[in-house]
Amino acid sequence: MKNIPVYFGLFMLVLGACNLTKDVAIDLPEYARQPVVECYLEPGKPFRMLLTQSYSFFDPLGLDSSFLEKTLLQGATVNITYNNKTINLPNQLSFESSPLKLFNYTSSQLVPADPGVEYTLNITLSDGKTVTGKTIMLPLVQIDSVPVQFNPTKDTLAQTFMYITDDLGTVDFYRRMLNYGTLDSIAQDFVTSDRFSTTSKVVFGMGYDLTVGDTVFNTIFHITPEYYDYIESVQLAIASSFNPFGQPSVIKSNVTGTAVPLGIFTCLVYDRDTTIIVK
Amino acid sequence: MVELNFDSAVKIGTLPNKIFKRLFLNFEITFIYDAMNLIYRLTLLFAGLFLFVLPSFSQQNATISGSIRDDENGETLIGATVEAIGLRKGNVSNEYGFYSFSVPASKDSVTLKFSYLGFIPEFRTILPQGNIKLDISLKEEGSLLNEVTIVANTLEDKVKSTEMSVTTISTKEAKALPALFGETDLLKIIQLKPGVASGTEGTTGIFVRGGANDQNLIVLDEAVVYNPNHLFGFFSTFNPDAVKDLKIWKGGFPSQYGGRLSSVIDVRMKEGNNKDYDVAGGIGLISSRLTVEGPIKKNKSSFIVSGRRTYADIITRQVNKANENKKDYQPIPDYYFYDLNTKVNFQLTQKDRLFLSGYFGRDVFKFSNETFNFLFDWGNTTGTARWNHTFGPKLFSNTTFTYSDYRYRIRNIIQGFSFRLGSNIVDVNIKQDFYYQPNNKHTIRFGGNATSHQFSVGRLKAGSDDGSVSFEAGQDFKGTEFGLFVADDWVLTDRVKVNLGARLSGWNNSTSNYARFEPRLSANYGLTDKWSLKASYSRMNQYVHLLASSGLSLPTDIWYPSTDKVRPEKSDQVALGTSLLIRDKVLITWEAWYKKLYNQVDFIDGAELFGQKNIETQLTFGEGYAYSPLELEIEKKDGRLTGWIGYTLAWAKRGRFPVINRGDYFSPRFDIRNNLSVVALYSLNRHWQFTATWVYNSGVVSWLPSGRLTLQDVPGAPFQSVVPVYGDRNTFRYPAYMRGDLGIVYKYKTKRSEQDITLSVYNVTDRRNPYFLYIDIQTQSTNLGGQTIDLPSAFQAKQVSLFPILPSLTWNFKF
Repeated sequence: MKNIPVYFGLFMLVLGACNLTKDVAIDLPEYARQPVVECYLEPGKPFRMLLTQSYSFFDPLGLDSSFLEKTLLQGATVNITYNNKTINLPNQLSFESSPLKLFNYTSSQLVPADPGVEYTLNITLSDGKTVTGKTIMLPLVQIDSVPVQFNPTKDTLAQTFMYITDDLGTVDFYRRMLNYGTLDSIAQDFVTSDRFSTTSKVVFGMGYDLTVGDTVFNTIFHITPEYYDYIESVQLAIASSFNPFGQPSVIKSNVTGTAVPLGIFTCLVYDRDTTIIVK
Repeated sequence: MVELNFDSAVKIGTLPNKIFKRLFLNFEITFIYDAMNLIYRLTLLFAGLFLFVLPSFSQQNATISGSIRDDENGETLIGATVEAIGLRKGNVSNEYGFYSFSVPASKDSVTLKFSYLGFIPEFRTILPQGNIKLDISLKEEGSLLNEVTIVANTLEDKVKSTEMSVTTISTKEAKALPALFGETDLLKIIQLKPGVASGTEGTTGIFVRGGANDQNLIVLDEAVVYNPNHLFGFFSTFNPDAVKDLKIWKGGFPSQYGGRLSSVIDVRMKEGNNKDYDVAGGIGLISSRLTVEGPIKKNKSSFIVSGRRTYADIITRQVNKANENKKDYQPIPDYYFYDLNTKVNFQLTQKDRLFLSGYFGRDVFKFSNETFNFLFDWGNTTGTARWNHTFGPKLFSNTTFTYSDYRYRIRNIIQGFSFRLGSNIVDVNIKQDFYYQPNNKHTIRFGGNATSHQFSVGRLKAGSDDGSVSFEAGQDFKGTEFGLFVADDWVLTDRVKVNLGARLSGWNNSTSNYARFEPRLSANYGLTDKWSLKASYSRMNQYVHLLASSGLSLPTDIWYPSTDKVRPEKSDQVALGTSLLIRDKVLITWEAWYKKLYNQVDFIDGAELFGQKNIETQLTFGEGYAYSPLELEIEKKDGRLTGWIGYTLAWAKRGRFPVINRGDYFSPRFDIRNNLSVVALYSLNRHWQFTATWVYNSGVVSWLPSGRLTLQDVPGAPFQSVVPVYGDRNTFRYPAYMRGDLGIVYKYKTKRSEQDITLSVYNVTDRRNPYFLYIDIQTQSTNLGGQTIDLPSAFQAKQVSLFPILPSLTWNFKF
């Protein structure tokens, strides 16, 4: 009787040692490739866009020099219109570092930081099919404060809280990002809304993960409902492919057209705080 | 005699009012009192109607009535047979152990035979005049060998009954069969019956004749159990030591049941031994059980208390303690579940019996460290107060008050902040059920019930302790559901029996009112004494809906009421079949059925349930159908070798959802084409018993991605994601499922105890059955733009299995 827990523990160890995962060959439904748009308009940065294409899931993807050729969808005509102005984005590769980002349609024109401006995307692919999308530049929601709090029982560990002020009169959506050390690392990245808020003050927390001298980046994006739905659907699609409890989702894109595209066309309006932990 | 019954019926109207005024003065008094008045007025109307129509049948007859019980412990025997030898008259005891039938009045004596499979028949000789009350106790056959043959109906009764699409599982039968981790589970035994699919390996999911998991009405002593699962469905909430038996209707639903589309699963708790004190229990790999029962007053009243608890948390706590000083050690969260069943019953008078029973069960998952204090618990609470009253030899009444509560609670406390989320559904139900047998040709049931539902959906409260930051969400709903029913099991001729029934059901809340008529009909045509043809039709309505975000059972699945937009689900089912008894030992039952489903509820793509102000925006509504030309069961209940073979060939579809697959029909997850199960129990002698089960299912249907895209997103190329692109729902079928289990039971008796040791070997061939498929993405580092990043290089489908070969040992005892 007394030894039952021990036997149970041994049994679980044996069970854990069993190989319960194996490779299988499956046939997935047929899939027709679709263009994928990633166009983020960031105030003060050039108009630019990444246009790629999706694949059938098991299509091979080599890592040789043809990788970009296979992935990037070239030869399209891309225009963005706002305030009766049309910006053409030539089919031109550009990079941004830290974190590394790649674009294959880039203009030298900069995106203005004017809230309320509506933007329209028009793409004509090399085969004549079209992609269109619309978005709006939302006002910036600023970070009010980022207080640092040390663990009362282990005071070498610290955490930060990011406070913002939300407009209770409107339904707002946010993307919260937390980076430690550099923007090349991600500690938190999720979307949320103010649907549950009963106070205008909203706070985002974290665990006691920091020590003195660490740098932490707290970022808040003010996003559109379409971008929120898109990220949610992408995260559901990723999670459910590894999680038996997940509910799969189709990707909720805000671009449409005869090319049956996937993707997002949105503005990136964000505030970022950089804090170095000091005692 | 007729006048006596009528007088008695009139008294019904006043007596319960007094009782309920006393009992429920401050508890939902308005609802219960009003509901009770309504039910009684309407049932009196039914009673008057039948008593007016049927009195002439009962002239010149003697009526014999009473109850049939187990002599050893006083438990009522459901479905025991009584017959007047040589007169071809008789009946079976109802679910309360009550029987009644008539024989022609005569000065010649008549011998009655009372029998129940596995028990020694009892004979009584009577002079058939007037009303005769006979309470009978049957002795169990002495041999241990025969214990497994205890079933509710004899096979011949099954052939002759108007009931079809029904199965009874006794706990004794279930305990002998091999089980996962040695944990006997009545719901998993049901999955071995034809027409019932399990959906996912190892879980208690019940998908009956193409219906969804929430379309089963599961009642424990008449109280609804909303979540019959522990540990995400791997174990059911029904402790086998506390349960007498379980009966499932897959179609041909009796009119006293309503509220779900696809099945009724009626679980009856033991009443407790009213003769002697017993202590019984068992120690298994996962949990231990202990049951104490005995008389409160010998032969008059008894009690039973039964508990069960898992003990994995005891081990994990020790592991955590041993590692608490290790850097980077992540403690294992505590997890355990427990059940507590209690029941008392009192024989108040010769005509009155009172039962009080309750169930309380919880799953608890908790974790705390320097940052978090996290608790997630969920479970059911049910309570039943049941009063049986015999008004006379022909009229029996059952008055039931039930309480059901299912809730989950998630709580996290962080320094200065707290988070609380929960949902619950609470029911208060009152039911009046009359069983009236004016003569041998008619057995009439009528009555009604009313249920007050309270829903709290996604109730969230979070924020800082100082109140400067606060979040709140959730919705509360109320609704009242009612049903009035009447049915007559009518012997038209020696060969033809019909059960004509109807149910008037309804729903009311602030946004919606629905009233639905539900005809119920079943018929039996006896080709011979051993061979019959059967047919049935039933309509069912469902007013509460489970919003389940996956095909698996999660404690956070939400029960949601009917509203003006979420209309009641409805089903129409027809079934045809035949039952053939060969050599009085083997019963072959074949049924074919078709079921049409209306107002089915599903989620839109990417639905978000949490914290929705209007959850209905996430729902979509459609239809469905399911059919089977072949649902076959061959069962043998007598002899050394017993068991059954079940096979189902079936189709299930859902469609006409505006936003799913363009409105096209598609297969739900549980559209299982072929389902074959073989169950065998072989008793070698008084001590040794060997059991085996073998199961084959076509694979379940799943929604797998067809394409992929690579997403750079805001974080950039180093974090690029491979995003699965999902097309139409449920276009992929998993590989077939096949499993064999073996069991060996060794029973022995000492002077003061009965004990057994059960060895179960689950999945004896160690087959890897599919639980979940996913596509593994292998990556390779490469240089892009002067920076090293991981890019996907290969894709491989992987199959995850849950259970390899699993031997387990259980020791059961009874003192």
